[in-house]
Amino acid sequence: MNADVHAGSIKKIEVEGCDTIPKLFWHQVCARDGKTAFREKTLGIWRSTSWREYGERARAVGMGLASLGLAHGDVVSILADTIPEWLYADMGIMGAGGVSNGIYPTDAAKQVEYILNDSATRFVFVENEEQLDKFLEVRGRCPKIEKAFIFDMEGLSEFSDPQILSFEELLKLGGEYDKAHPGKWEKLVAASRAEALAILVYTSGTTGPPKGAMLSHRNVIFQLANADAFIPMETNGEQLAFLPLCHVAERTFTAFLPLRSGAIANFAESVETVPDNVREVAPTTFFAVPRIWERFYSGIAIRMKEATWLGRTAYAWALGVGMKIAEAKLEGQEPSALLKLQFAVADYCVLDNIKRAIGMHRVRFAGTGAAPIAPDLIRWYRALGIDMREVYGQTENCGVATGMPDRIKLGTVGVAAPNTELKLSPEGEIVLRGPHIFMGYLNQPEKTAETLRDGWLHTGDVGTIDNEGYLRITDRMKDIIITAGGKNVTPSEIENQLKFSPYISDAVVIGDRRKFLTCLVMIDYDSVSKYAQDSNVPFTDFTSLCRAREVQDLIWSEIEKVNQGFARVETIKKFRLLEHQLSAEDDEVTPTMKLKRKFVNEKYKGLIDSMYAEAA
Amino acid sequence: MTEAQLKVSNIETYYGPIMAIRGVSFEVPKGDIVTILGANGAGKTTVLKTVSGVMDPQKGSVTFEGREIQRMDPDKVMRLGMSHVPEGREVFPFLSVRENLRMGAYTRRDPDGVAKDLETVFGYFPVLKERADQRAGSLSGGEQQMLAISRALMANPRMMLLDEPSLGLSPKLVKEIFDIIVRINKERGVTILLVEQNANMALQVADYGYVLEVGRIVMADTCERLLQKEDIKEFYLGIKEEGARGQRRWKKRKTWR
Repeated sequence: MNADVHAGSIKKIEVEGCDTIPKLFWHQVCARDGKTAFREKTLGIWRSTSWREYGERARAVGMGLASLGLAHGDVVSILADTIPEWLYADMGIMGAGGVSNGIYPTDAAKQVEYILNDSATRFVFVENEEQLDKFLEVRGRCPKIEKAFIFDMEGLSEFSDPQILSFEELLKLGGEYDKAHPGKWEKLVAASRAEALAILVYTSGTTGPPKGAMLSHRNVIFQLANADAFIPMETNGEQLAFLPLCHVAERTFTAFLPLRSGAIANFAESVETVPDNVREVAPTTFFAVPRIWERFYSGIAIRMKEATWLGRTAYAWALGVGMKIAEAKLEGQEPSALLKLQFAVADYCVLDNIKRAIGMHRVRFAGTGAAPIAPDLIRWYRALGIDMREVYGQTENCGVATGMPDRIKLGTVGVAAPNTELKLSPEGEIVLRGPHIFMGYLNQPEKTAETLRDGWLHTGDVGTIDNEGYLRITDRMKDIIITAGGKNVTPSEIENQLKFSPYISDAVVIGDRRKFLTCLVMIDYDSVSKYAQDSNVPFTDFTSLCRAREVQDLIWSEIEKVNQGFARVETIKKFRLLEHQLSAEDDEVTPTMKLKRKFVNEKYKGLIDSMYAEAA
Repeated sequence: MTEAQLKVSNIETYYGPIMAIRGVSFEVPKGDIVTILGANGAGKTTVLKTVSGVMDPQKGSVTFEGREIQRMDPDKVMRLGMSHVPEGREVFPFLSVRENLRMGAYTRRDPDGVAKDLETVFGYFPVLKERADQRAGSLSGGEQQMLAISRALMANPRMMLLDEPSLGLSPKLVKEIFDIIVRINKERGVTILLVEQNANMALQVADYGYVLEVGRIVMADTCERLLQKEDIKEFYLGIKEEGARGQRRWKKRKTWR
C-alpha cells in the first residue's frame, strides 16, 4: 500500500494538471475543440456534438445560473433521463461553483420533494412535461427553490410561469451575462477547489429515506487518475450511455471518464431500444449492470434452443473451444497452437456472429458491476472472446473500490484500486480507506459516523481476501441468512445462480430463522411467455402466465438445477412467483431493476409465510 | 364459471410474414358476453376471423362446444351454430332487407322456425320491417348494422361474434344496438363474443373482458374489475388526472395490473 495515503499527507491528485472537475472539463474543451464528444439519435440519425459545443452550452448554463445568483456551494438538482442536456447542466452547475445533484426520473413526486428539500436545492432542471408536473405538484412544499428549467418544451408552448424558464431561455440569459462579465466563467472555474463538495448522490437505501452521499472533486479526480488501472484509456473509444446518470456508476462512466479518455458517449434513445442501439454503436468500452448482461445471454440462449441441429452443434462446439481457451488464459497458460487455430475457426464461423448479435464485436473493455454477477456468466462471455471484468464499489467510494487486473481470478472482484487500502474488519466486514472515500452523508452526522470510522469506510459487505489481495464478496452483512438450524447461508450466491437461468429475471432467497430455504422469483416475461407459447400452454396476462402449472414446473426445474450445486441445507425447498410485472417505478425494485430484499420480505410477508405454513 | 363454450388456445395468425396474433388464449363461457378490447391494429378482428374460420391459424387450437374448429371453412363453422357479424356490416347492397335476412337463414330447413325468427328480429328492430322491401344499400349505417346483426341471428346461432357494432354510429344508436345485444343474450341465451373500441360501452354490457395489445393479451378480468383498473381508465376510458397544470399530454407507462 502507498504509505503517503494514510498518513494524512495526501499527495496532489491531478489529471492533466487539473485537480477539480470544472478545471479538467474546461481544459479538455479547449484542447479537444471540434472533436466529437457525444452522439445522440434524432429522427433516426445519429448526430454529433463537439467538445466545443459541449463547452459552450455548459458555460451558458453556468453563466445563466450565476446571473440568477447561484453562490458557491449551492445545490442544483437535475431530474431527467440520460440525455446530453443532463451533462450540459452537470458541467455548468459545477463550473459556476454549484453542487450537482441527480434525481431519478422514475422517482415519484413524494421522493422528489424529499430530495429537493433535504438537499436544499435552489435551482432544478426538469426534463419535460412529465417531470415538470412532478415539480409543480410539490413546489408549494419546497420553499427553497427559486427557479426551474425545462429541457424539452414539447407540449408546453402555451405554458408560462414566473418561476420556470425553458433551457433555451437559460442559455440565452447565460450568454448575455457572459458578454457583460468577460472572464467571469474562467475565474469561477479556476476558483473551484479539490476538497470542496462536487456532487450529491442519493442512495436508494433499503431502509429509511434516501441519504445524500457527498462526493468531492478530489474523490472524482482520484478515480479518474487511477482509472487506467482497470479500464483501457482510448481516445477514439465509443461508449453507450443508457443507465440513469444519477447512479454513481453511469455518472463516472459517461460524465467523468471521457474527461480523461476522450471516448465518445452515444446516448441510447430509450431503455427499450438499448439492444438495437448497442448494435448500431458497437461500443469499444461498455459498462453494464449484470441484468443487462443476463438479458443478452438469455436472448442468445433462447435463440440457440430454436436453432437448427447444425446451428446448435456448431454453437456447442465453438463455445467449448472458447471455454477451453478462456480457461487456459485464466490459468495463466499460453493456449496451444492447435487450440488457437480452432478458436480462430470458431470465432470466424460462430462466435463473431454472436458478438455481432449483441453488438459486442468491437468491445475491448466489458465491465460489470453495481450488483453481484454469476461467475458462469462471466465465463460464457470470456468464451466468446469478450474480456469481461468485474468492478466492485459503491456510491460512498465514488464507484470503484476494486477492479480486475490483467491476471483474472473468477469469483473474485479483483484487487483494491491503486493507492487505496482494503482490509477486513475483525467481524469480516470489508472496509476501505483512501482518497476515494466520500465526505459523508448530507445532514446525517450519525449515519456518517456509523459508516466512516477513523477514515475507514464500512461497506456493509462481508468477504475474504486471498494472499494476493484479491477480494471475494460473500454477501451483504445484513443479508446473511442464519437458518433455524443455525446454518449460515449467503443468499446472493444462490440468487446469482438462479438469475443465470434465462427464465428467471431476479430472485430473493429467504430463510432467516426459518426451517428451510425458500425463494421468491420474478420471471423473465419474454422468455417465459415464449416458452409457454411454444409448448402450447394457454395463458392470458402476466398473472395467468405465472399461475400456469407448466410455468411453475419450468421454474421449479430451473431451481432444481441450481440446487444440485449446493449442499443440502442450502437447497431451495419451495418457491413462489411474483405475479405482477414490476417496472422501475415500483417500490420493490431499484431503478436498475434489482429486487430490494428487505422491501420484498415485508411486502410479500403473507406469500412467504404461506410457504412455511403449509410445510408443517 | 360454467364450462367454456368456446376455448381458444395459443393461436398464432399471420398476414403473410407478419405475425398479427402472437399467442392468444381465452375462454367464452356459455351464455355470457365476453369482450375483447384493444386499439387499432391490436389484432381484435384477426382473432374473430381466426375463430370463425375466415383465417387459419399457424398454431394453436379453437374449440367450440368440445369440437376443434380451427382451419375449418367458415360455412362449416357457421353450420355448427356460430355466426360472425363482420366489421363494416357487409350487407348485400342490391338485395332487399328481407332477402338479406333470408340469406342469413339459407342453411336452415325449418320454414316455420325461420318465419318465427323473422318476426323476432322485426320485433327487435321495427325499422327493418318498415324497410323490408327496400334495397339494403339504401339503408343508413345504423340500419345496416341492425340488418347485419339480424341476418346473423336468422341462422339461429348459439354463439355470435360481433366485430365493432358501434363503428361509425351516433351515441344514441350505439346505445340502442347494445340494448338489443343484451336482449339477444338474455332472451335467447346466445353467447356473445364482442370486439370493441368503444371500451366504455363494451365494459358496461359484458361479463368478462380481455385487453389485446399488439397481438397479445395483456389483461384479463371481470368487466366490473376492469373498470376500476388505472390503465383501463387512462388508456381506454380517457379518464386521467389533470395534474397541477390542468392539461397533461404525457402518458403514464402501462403496467397492466
